[in-house]
This record gives sequence, structure tokens and C-alpha cells, in this order.
Amino acid sequence: MILEAIDLTKSFGGVMAINHLSLQVEKGMILGLIGPNGSGKTTFFNLVTGLYRPDGGKVIFHGKEITGLRPHRICGLGIGRTFQVPAPFGKMTVLENVMVGTFVHASTMKAARKLALEILEKVRLDDKADQLVLNVTLEDRKRLELARALATKPSLLLLDEVMSGLTPAEVKASIELIRELRTEELTLIVVEHIMDVILSLCDRIAVLDYGQKIAEDIPDRIVNNPEVIKAYLGERYRA
Amino acid sequence: MELFLQTLIDGLLIGGLIIVVGIGFSLCFGVMHIVDFAVGEWVMVGAYTGFIFVKYFGHDPMTYLPIIFLIFCALGWLIYPLIYRAVSGKRHNPVLMGLVFTFGLSILAKGGALSVWGYHIQSISTWLSGKSLDVVVATVPALRFAGFVFGILVTLFFMLFLYKTKFGVIIRATAQDRDTASLLGVDVRRVGGLVYSLYAGMTGMSGILIGALFSIHAAMGAKYSTLAFFVVVLAGMGYVPGVIIAALVLGLLQSFVGVYIGGRYTLVALFMVMYGVLLITPKGILRRGI
Amino acid sequence: MAEKLNRRLGLPIALLIVCLILPFFLSPLWIRITTEVLMWAALAQSWNIIGGYTGYLSFGHGAFFGLGAYVTGILMVHLGWPFGIGLLASGILAALLALVIGYPTLRLRGAYFAIATWAFGEMIRQIAIILEITGGAFGMQLPSYLNLPFFYYLMLGITALTYLTTHILLERARFGLKLLAIREQEEAAEMVGVDTVSIKMEAFALSAFFPGVIGGINAYWVTYIHPDSVLGAQLTDFMVVMAFLGGIGSLWGPFLGAVLVQLVQRVLWLVWGEGTFYLVIIGGAICAVVLFIPNGLIGLMEARIFSPREALGQWRKAIKW
Repeated sequence: MILEAIDLTKSFGGVMAINHLSLQVEKGMILGLIGPNGSGKTTFFNLVTGLYRPDGGKVIFHGKEITGLRPHRICGLGIGRTFQVPAPFGKMTVLENVMVGTFVHASTMKAARKLALEILEKVRLDDKADQLVLNVTLEDRKRLELARALATKPSLLLLDEVMSGLTPAEVKASIELIRELRTEELTLIVVEHIMDVILSLCDRIAVLDYGQKIAEDIPDRIVNNPEVIKAYLGERYRA
Repeated sequence: MELFLQTLIDGLLIGGLIIVVGIGFSLCFGVMHIVDFAVGEWVMVGAYTGFIFVKYFGHDPMTYLPIIFLIFCALGWLIYPLIYRAVSGKRHNPVLMGLVFTFGLSILAKGGALSVWGYHIQSISTWLSGKSLDVVVATVPALRFAGFVFGILVTLFFMLFLYKTKFGVIIRATAQDRDTASLLGVDVRRVGGLVYSLYAGMTGMSGILIGALFSIHAAMGAKYSTLAFFVVVLAGMGYVPGVIIAALVLGLLQSFVGVYIGGRYTLVALFMVMYGVLLITPKGILRRGI
Repeated sequence: MAEKLNRRLGLPIALLIVCLILPFFLSPLWIRITTEVLMWAALAQSWNIIGGYTGYLSFGHGAFFGLGAYVTGILMVHLGWPFGIGLLASGILAALLALVIGYPTLRLRGAYFAIATWAFGEMIRQIAIILEITGGAFGMQLPSYLNLPFFYYLMLGITALTYLTTHILLERARFGLKLLAIREQEEAAEMVGVDTVSIKMEAFALSAFFPGVIGGINAYWVTYIHPDSVLGAQLTDFMVVMAFLGGIGSLWGPFLGAVLVQLVQRVLWLVWGEGTFYLVIIGGAICAVVLFIPNGLIGLMEARIFSPREALGQWRKAIKW
């Protein structure tokens, strides 16, 4: 078990965004995280990565408790994440963006550059390495988000709606990319709204609603789960 | 005991006047997310304008309050598009650009005042200067009392405007959520202009009273910027009701430190408190700030 | 990121050589003027480290300069310490002060940080007026040392050091890239492993060290310091306008800005006599820069609106045909 969230709670003002959520992620799997908007998926990511401090509960990573640690330390321990809306470093080139991520492991600029280029090749962005991020398309920005997260050499990668805003062709390409990533020592938690993507990629799916986990199972059983259908899916995906 | 009461009343009176400066400044940030670094300079220019009017036309400076209000509203209306442009660049950090722009304005105003009047200290007096009222156990300078009344009246009018008129609702809506407001048909830019004009008008007006109460000199802006910052930091940026309490606290703090510790220490005391608040509760003492 | 300008080592070295031999050709007046220009070039660059590269506008930065001046003054006058030690102490104490106030204030967002540092700057000035050891509002007198070339070369040295450090740490090293990342997307930077708190503090301390030392040099040079001369708001005003005019976040922007602003100021003084009108120009310049050229003059050059290299290239092309 690479990640374990135990009884997490988080409130904002009067709203309970995460309501006693417990989740376990096995090493090497791709876990899908779905649910209606506002169900707490991004908040969960923020709690795991240390952006928010939970009001209650714990997060255990590789057997060690990481609750309350600062994000950069959690990143150093091996959790990477992408943002729903890409947040690249605007006035830098694509390469420089990725280099910032490599600084966790690379101690010289030279090593950083080399590592960054390798990663850009992997996500097929190497041809745009010297372009200013400001001039780059949305699809490429999403790739860049991914590359930057990968640069920190994570063992757990949290992908927050990597596919949103992409055309079907771009989505297909992204799915391929993620599949390629998975073959290495990398566990993934993927948040998506595009069900076809989730169903084809994930080993298991967890469903959130109002900050609680209402179901967790293999994809086939999830789509037939009446609770899930009621809360989120509708009848369309029922097998 | 008498000294205590006297100090208390003095503090409250000054605080009342400062509310005016604080309200405009706070709203500026709340609606447009602009920190007007030149707030103290608006006071200074207002004071000097009153001085000019008195010098060339005579009469009591208080009679010029309405005119000053209109003039400064117009000035604010004219300057606002520039500020708007400064904060609208896509690539740059808008809040910071607004900061730097108004920072530049403050230097410009101060430099202008210095060039015209130098370092000389001017003053203006009204029919109330030098008079005092006896209120129970304390003696209240009539002018300070007038300043307090002015502050309360302006605040009252402004609050009525903000909470009871259509424009007020629009302004408050824009302060809460700009994007939604614009989606609902509010011309956010116009609203910003209106708010800035009102702010300039009110602050300019208060300059006359401040000028009559204290002295007028080109570098006085820094002091009133400090006071405005203090009030708004304590109240929480953008949280207008808190300004009333914060301004009174400011007045009291200034008064008590001045009387019981020493006049030289008032500013330092203010800074320390402001610093403390910024660090411990950056959203203001009531945590309602933005 | 004026990389094109940076890579050409030739220009800076030539500039340095010119500055080194300049005193032999200039009259004392001009040596004094150049010393001042160098001083401002270094001050503007120091501000640029925290304001331009990191994106945290320090509106009370003059306080570090004043602190340096007073520390050197107090150490020399009241303790009899030698000048060199005084300078070192000035720099270190300024950096320490930056760490102390940086720890709580760097947590604050843009506008709050600006206000907090502005308040801090004013507070330091008030404290200098109140304290006895600083001579209060009357200021203090340092021992006299009339050696113009000495101060010229000293100032040149510290300015060169400032620029060299900025070049190495901010343009070439991981530190600089991390700062830029913090400026652009602080949260994302933290997410990608950048220890934003530490890095910001380091940048702030660095940005305070140089003004501290420079303040010390200036104090010994002008021999008389008082709260308005070394802790006045105009110091920060100048640093800000020079950095902005030249181009914040660039290596040579502050230098360009410093030279230009000093030039304009002196021309104004010549034409209108020593006065305060230049403040109007300075204020107007800041406004104009924000409105029209937010990336400063260096930004204009990079955007190819005005590029000397391109012009040269085009001319070269033209004469080949």
C-alpha cells in the first residue's frame, strides 16, 4: 500500500468538503477518482499534497505519516500532481519549467537540463523546449504540467482532469501517454469526468459524493452500482 | 481620571474623522482590488486645495467642503481610467501594477506640492478653531468635535448610499464577485470609476478638516497613508463596516500613546500594532478581510 | 531574460575596464557623479532581486541602506571600529534584519507585503529619530576621510559584486529559476518541490545585504547622516523607479534605469536648479512605465520594438548587397 488516507475531514467555513474519507491505494495501480463537481476530488488532492491541512485524519505515504508537512517536502518524498487549470511558469521556456521540477533531484543546472530534456522527450514536447510557455497551446500546457510533475521523480502521481478541454484526438493521445507512464514504478490517481477515459485506464475506481466515498470497486461493478448511478453516472454506462 | 477621559474623547474624535479616509480606501480595495498608495496624498492635496481657496477667496474653509468634494470626485473620475489600464495588462500582476502606479502618483503629488510650497508648513483656520466646548468632565476643542461630526455624517451618508440605494447594491455586488456581477450586466469598469471618484471626493474633503486641525505640509501624506493602512489592515481589507471600529481604535491608540508615553512614540506604536495584526491575523481582527 | 545581452561577456568586461580607468580622465565633480550613479545602479539591482526576480515588492527597502549607514556610523564613532569591519557588520546586520522581518512578512500576499515593508521602512526611520545613539533627528557625524578615488573604487567594487552575484545566482543558477517560478506561480512552485519559504528568505536577505554595505560606504563618504538623508522614502522611490524603468527581473535593467534617472535628475537640476521638481518627473515616470512599458526599457528591446542587435544586423545585411 503506497498511500493511505485515514478518516480525513476538511471544512471551509460551514461547508464540509471532505467528510471522513478513507482511501487506500496499492502500489502500481491506476486508481480513478470520480464524482460530481464539488464532491471533494481536488480538495482530496490538496490534502494529500499538503496544500491544505486536514481538520482531522491522517495521510500515510510509504508507511510514513505526511499529514501537515509542507507541499515541497511531500513532493520531495515522491508525490507529484498536476492542476486542473495548468499553472505553468509564464515567463519561462517549456524546458525551464520542467527544470524547476528536476531541482529536487538534480544538483547542477547541467544535470537538470539533461533530465528535463529526457522528460520532454517522453511526453513528446521536446520540439517545443525553447518556446516561451505563454505561446503554447492548451494541450501542450497540459503535457507540460505532466512533464513538470514527472520531473520530480514521483512514485505517486495525482492527475487532476488532465483531459479536460482537449479534443477527442488529443484525449486519445493523452491516454496513450499515461499508459506508457504506468509501466514504470509509478502509481497513479486520476480524476476525470470523461467516463470512457476512466473506464479504459483504471484498475479501480473510487466515487466521491459530498466529500464522502460512496463506492470503490473495479470499473465493471462501479458502473452498475445504483448509488453511483444515482449520484453521478446516470444510466448510460450500465453494462 | 480626568486625563483619561480627555484622552479617550480626543482619541474617539480623531478616529471619527479618520473613518472617512478609511472607508474610501477600503472600498477601493474591495471593489477594484487596488491598494491606493496615494491615499495620504489625496488628503494632502485636499488640504492644500482648501488652503488655496481660503487664500484667494477668503471665507471659512468649511464652506468649501462641497466644492472640494465635487472637484475631487472629478479628479478621481479622470484618473481612474489610467489606474484601470495599469491593472488590466494581461501578462502582469494586476494588483502589484496598481500598487506601483499609485505609488508613482503619490511621488508625483508630493513632488508637485514640494515644488510649489516647499517645506513650509501652512495652516488654515476656521471659525471653530480655538473654540472649545465643555462636555461633562472634559473640554472638547470645537474643531475636533466638528471633525468627528463630519466623519460620522459622511459615514452615515455613505452607508446609506451603500446599503439603501441601487448603486450601492451594485457596488457591493461587484465587491463580492466581479465576474458574476459583470455577467449580470454590471459595467464593472464604470462601477470602479464611481467608487474611485467617491473615494477621492471623500478623502479630499477630509483633507480640509485635517488641514484645519493639524498642519498642512507637502510630506504629510505619509502620515495619513499610515493611518489609512492601519485602519484597513485592522478592519480587514475590503471590509467596510470594520473600518468604523478600526478607525476609533486607531484614534484611541494614538491618543493614549501620545499622552501617556510620548508624542514621538505614537507612529512607532501604530506601526508595531499594524505589523502585529498583519502577521497574526492578516485578514483583519474580525477576519472578514479579503 | 535578456539572455542575448547576458551571454555577451564582452560588454560587461569592457564596461568594467572603462569604469576602472575613468577616474584618471574625470574631474572630481564627475568622479563624484559617477560614484553616485554606480551606487544607485547597485541599489536598484538589490531591489530588483526581491522585487523584480521574486515578485515581492519591498516598498521599505531604503531601510536597509539607512541601517547600514547607521551601523557603520555607530561602530566607527561610538566603538572606534575600523571602517572595513563596520561595512561587513552593516551588510550582515542588514541581511539579518531582512531575515527577521522576512520570516513573517514574506508569508503575505502582494499588496500586504508591500504595505508591511512600507510600514517597516517608516518605522525604522521613526526609531532612528527617537533613539539617542543615532543622534536622533539631528543625525550623526562620521570621521572625515577625504579620498575621492578611494570611495569611487569601493563603490565600483560593491556594484560589480552586486551585478556579478545577481548574474551568477539569479541568471545562471538554480536559485534564480526557483525565484522566477515563485514569482510566476508560487503555489505550483511549492508543489514541484521548491521550498518557497527558504528561497524567499534567502532572496530577501541577499537583497538587503548589498544596500547595507552600500549604506555604510555612503555614510563614510558623505560623513554626515540623518534620518531623512539615509532613511527617507525617496531612497526606496528611486530604487523602484530605476528598476522599473530599466526593466524589472532583468540583469541590466536596473543599471540602465539608474543611469537614466540620474541623468534626468542632474539635467533637471542644471536647468531648474536644485529642487524637488525631479520628484514629479520620477513619479510621472513610474506611472508612465506601468502604463506603457511595464517590462521596462529592456523589455522594449527584447520585444524587438527596439533592438540594437537587430538594427545592426539589418544594417549589415543591407551593406552586403
